[in-house]
Amino acid sequence: MMKISAQIANPPGQPLLRCHGVTKTYGQGNAAVQALRGVDMEVNAGELLMLAGPSGCGKTTLISVLAGLLPRDEGDCSVFGQDYKQMSPGETTQFRGINIGFVFQAFDLIPALTAVENAAVPLIIHGMKLREATTHARKVLQEMDFDDRMMDSLPAGLSGGQQQRVAIARAMIHTPQLIVCDEPTSALDSESGRKVMELMRRFALGENRALVVVTHDERILEFADRIARMEDGRIIQIEKPPEVNYVP
Amino acid sequence: MITIALRMLSGDRTKYLGVLFGITFTSFLVTFAASYFGGMMTRSFALIAEYPRNDVWVMDPAVRGVESTMNIPDSALSRVRGVAGVQSAVPLALATATVRFPDGRFQPVQVIGVDDATLTGVPPVADGLTAAVLRTPNAVVIDPGGTSGKLETPRLPADQWPYGRVPVNAPTRPLVRGDELSINDHLVRVAGQSKALPRFPPRPLLFTTFSTAERILPPERDRTTFVVATARPNVKPAELAKRIEQETGLRARSAKDFRADTVHWMMVTSEDVGDAVTMLSIAILVGFGVTAVMMYLFTNENMKYYAVLSAMGATGRQLFSMITAQAALCGLLGTGLGLGVCTLAGLAFLHYGFPFRLMWFAPLLGGAAVVLICVVSAAISIRPVLKMHPATFLAGR
Repeated sequence: MMKISAQIANPPGQPLLRCHGVTKTYGQGNAAVQALRGVDMEVNAGELLMLAGPSGCGKTTLISVLAGLLPRDEGDCSVFGQDYKQMSPGETTQFRGINIGFVFQAFDLIPALTAVENAAVPLIIHGMKLREATTHARKVLQEMDFDDRMMDSLPAGLSGGQQQRVAIARAMIHTPQLIVCDEPTSALDSESGRKVMELMRRFALGENRALVVVTHDERILEFADRIARMEDGRIIQIEKPPEVNYVP
Repeated sequence: MITIALRMLSGDRTKYLGVLFGITFTSFLVTFAASYFGGMMTRSFALIAEYPRNDVWVMDPAVRGVESTMNIPDSALSRVRGVAGVQSAVPLALATATVRFPDGRFQPVQVIGVDDATLTGVPPVADGLTAAVLRTPNAVVIDPGGTSGKLETPRLPADQWPYGRVPVNAPTRPLVRGDELSINDHLVRVAGQSKALPRFPPRPLLFTTFSTAERILPPERDRTTFVVATARPNVKPAELAKRIEQETGLRARSAKDFRADTVHWMMVTSEDVGDAVTMLSIAILVGFGVTAVMMYLFTNENMKYYAVLSAMGATGRQLFSMITAQAALCGLLGTGLGLGVCTLAGLAFLHYGFPFRLMWFAPLLGGAAVVLICVVSAAISIRPVLKMHPATFLAGR
């Protein structure tokens, strides 16, 4: 995998991610919806944290704030010791591109690109030549048991589980220190969902890397190191997985 | 990123073809309209173009084009011949007359009276004949001048010049050598048919000698419309024109300048220019509408993917370059296709005698229209991409 230059080094002994009293409100006046009402949380290196809770409780808003996709209203939030509020929009985009990987609920692979090209997109964004980037992507996908035919297929020719594996490869190809996943298994059947989570633990987690996974899929909670339960814009409980079936 | 952008574009074939169609259509229509206009303008100075060794045209000081003329005194010919640097000079008479055919029908024609001695200015005559056929009394050489079916005579001799009736519905045939026509109650005989350059506006032409023209046209104080002079070797036409102007008080223009004057006069006074501009405007508007809407729809449908790219670190400049590349590719392909279609259509139009001339400015105009459309379409499409918030498109928001 490629390490992009200018990656931020997390301060030693510090959590990768730390939030305190984070709030976020959509809209104004009577139409205002308070999505986050003072969230406190920490994510450590090498940890897989799951954000669980009912729909509308603020999980996606929280990871959007953590990933710098949405500005928070109040509170403190530092990612690798950096605060988005101290960055310009351009710096935030660059920071996000280098240090954070994304896995989206609907995979969101670009339909006109092959699996290997989709996986290579973050490297291309960072200026790598297409041929070089796809060579790296090919290696990553090979590790994920993709054969040549699958690698050169368009997303429409892949199953849901295969598409999500491409999305995972895309999220980690540039070795970001934080990967955020929004409902990565919601579009998959139980078996595929488990395989995807196994892959994520195997490939995406690392000594200096953390995963934050938003889910309301109770079947995958066992893959978490910690589970943050959310309700009405707050983290109401942080717990260990109920029953650890997954053995790395 | 450019490769990704182009793959995204070509991946959505319907919209890609829609954008391409819009741009091709615009490029074609603008280039075609400009070429058609170029063809019309070229035909407007056909009389000048078909004159051999026509270095300087001398005319009334108020004349600004070959299409709007005023006669000058016949003595002008001698005065021009007396100017130093003139090798030769011939008179040219232009007039509009109404020709009556043997069945009683009539047709306005342009009478062109050329120098009796040299017969300069008569275009090539068909059937292996020469301009010398005009030396027979009352001879004329006819030419369709870009028209068709306007120079016909009754097929049956019985229907020609019948006494006491006008057989306007009698079957006709094209005029041939030996047929007779009446102009101002003067009978003239068709001595041949020429292959002159088509005129704009199109009208039948009737070439004859200056003296015959004087005889068959209604009497006027002055009959000479132009004096066409040839410069001596080493005398530049523009220089000679200045000299003639100074010495005769008439307007004198080199052939090149007179062509330009004629085109300028046409552009200023002709309604056809307005029609061409209207056609160009409609072409640009239609092309703009189709292209901009398709491009906007394409970008809008791909907004989710632009959001994903933005989330993954693509900067506004990168997204801008992607959409610009998409517009540029469509623009390039559309311009090329439009130009190709225009050339093919032009060849077909030329075959059927329509004015079409693909001049240097026509593809430039087509290209400029395409650039304008692409820039505006891209600008309309880019705006929402640069304004979007990637989080809006995540998790089905």
